[in-house]
Amino acid sequence: MSLDEKFSALRKGLLEFLLLKIIAADKVYVADILRQLSGTEFATQEGTLYPLLSKMRRESLLDYEWQESDAGPPRKYYKLTAKGREQLRELTDYWNKIHGTVKGLGP
Amino acid sequence: MNKVIAIHLHGTAFHLEEGGYETLRAYLDNANRQLEENPDKAEILADIEQAIADKFAARLNTSRNVVLSTEVQAVIAEIGPVTNSSDATTDDKANAKSDARPQPSTTAAHPGSKKRLYRIKDGAMLAGVCNGLATYIGIDVTLLRLAVAVLIFFSFGTVAIAYIVGILIIPKAETPEQIAATTGPSPTAQEFIRKAKEGYYEGFKTMHDREAHRAWKRKFKNEMRDWNRKLKEEFRWGFPCPPLPPVPSRIAIPPPDGFHVVMPILATLRALLILLCWFAILSLVTTGAILGVTLPGQLPVWAGVILLILAYKVAVAPIKALRRTYYYRFNGWPAYWHPFADLLHGLLTVLILALGVWLADCFIPGFHQALLNFPIFCQQVADSIQQWWHQR
Repeated sequence: MSLDEKFSALRKGLLEFLLLKIIAADKVYVADILRQLSGTEFATQEGTLYPLLSKMRRESLLDYEWQESDAGPPRKYYKLTAKGREQLRELTDYWNKIHGTVKGLGP
Repeated sequence: MNKVIAIHLHGTAFHLEEGGYETLRAYLDNANRQLEENPDKAEILADIEQAIADKFAARLNTSRNVVLSTEVQAVIAEIGPVTNSSDATTDDKANAKSDARPQPSTTAAHPGSKKRLYRIKDGAMLAGVCNGLATYIGIDVTLLRLAVAVLIFFSFGTVAIAYIVGILIIPKAETPEQIAATTGPSPTAQEFIRKAKEGYYEGFKTMHDREAHRAWKRKFKNEMRDWNRKLKEEFRWGFPCPPLPPVPSRIAIPPPDGFHVVMPILATLRALLILLCWFAILSLVTTGAILGVTLPGQLPVWAGVILLILAYKVAVAPIKALRRTYYYRFNGWPAYWHPFADLLHGLLTVLILALGVWLADCFIPGFHQALLNFPIFCQQVADSIQQWWHQR
């Protein structure tokens, strides 16, 4: 079993947290998000991202607006709602706690 | 030599090699099944199609306009399988956080986008601000327009400025999603989008047989037109109205004679009438006389305002009817269903308003006195604003 596989559930679970982080930094559209994640362990694809983003919007963590692009049709630019920022704060705290626990245990 | 199949993805046409078409169809069918339970299915599929269209477009150029099978496979591999994250992550969440349970179930009860404030140009007088606001708060647009028109004069432009700010900050409803969001989860609007998607995927099945595909296309177009009409009726009428006659099958009709001459003239005429009406009301409210002519008898100012608005409605009705007749003819739609519909609509609104005031006058104690004081009150408000204006 590869390392990737061992942590696949963990990576999947963290994706939403990372999306909140990316969108909190700047207004982005899907290609931006994919590019930022592409070099990392969390590289993902449109087929996963669109359903996840729409779910997060349904939970009113984020919202989008249409913006004209220089080339091609208008794009959906995503941004966080107040609830999304609140959630990001909570998740960051929780993540730091986990990180501390992992470091504190064992050798 | 390979056979090529033409498709359109979210409004853009592409030519695909036959093998590539099969691959894409299988992929989209599978995505459709994966998202079966997802309330945002239509929107996600539209996003995915748009992403595919973008990637196809990036691979084509002026000298090559067919998407190869290998390219379709590459694009699908790039986009990856569509996974229904609603299922997977809500389950994960349920395990991790038990207190978050009620959240998903309440949001699931309102599928699709939330109700939002947009300007609605369809049936608008100016920029669609009143139309959008009336739809948003769910009242009749004529009532709101009357209120705004009256308020504009009593507030000496403050409401007019608010209106202009409204034009600037309220987005126009343009995409089907936005139009659906103006009324919130309107059953017709949602059904329209769902049907459109469903029919679209169904259409893939007949792709091989030219004749069958053409027949499907005709049927689908007719169905969509009916839905579209229902959607528009929902926006246009505050009151239930007799349904429009069934649409004859749509043929491209050239603009009627003089279309390009008559339309601008009618529009200008109407704009002039609006200006005249505003000016008359303004002069009535400020000087107590319409452009120098005093009101007959002992008619109070507010009755004069209502009379002016009524007069405007009457004067503008034939112009409106003419414009609509021309417009619908041009678009292959039937002529306006009744030349006096708008006039009747306006009269009915005023009548109902009057009936409401009368009933309140009869049954609510204290209302009578308030009614008598209302014009005086408005005058006082106007005076104080005017004073404030001059003191600046």
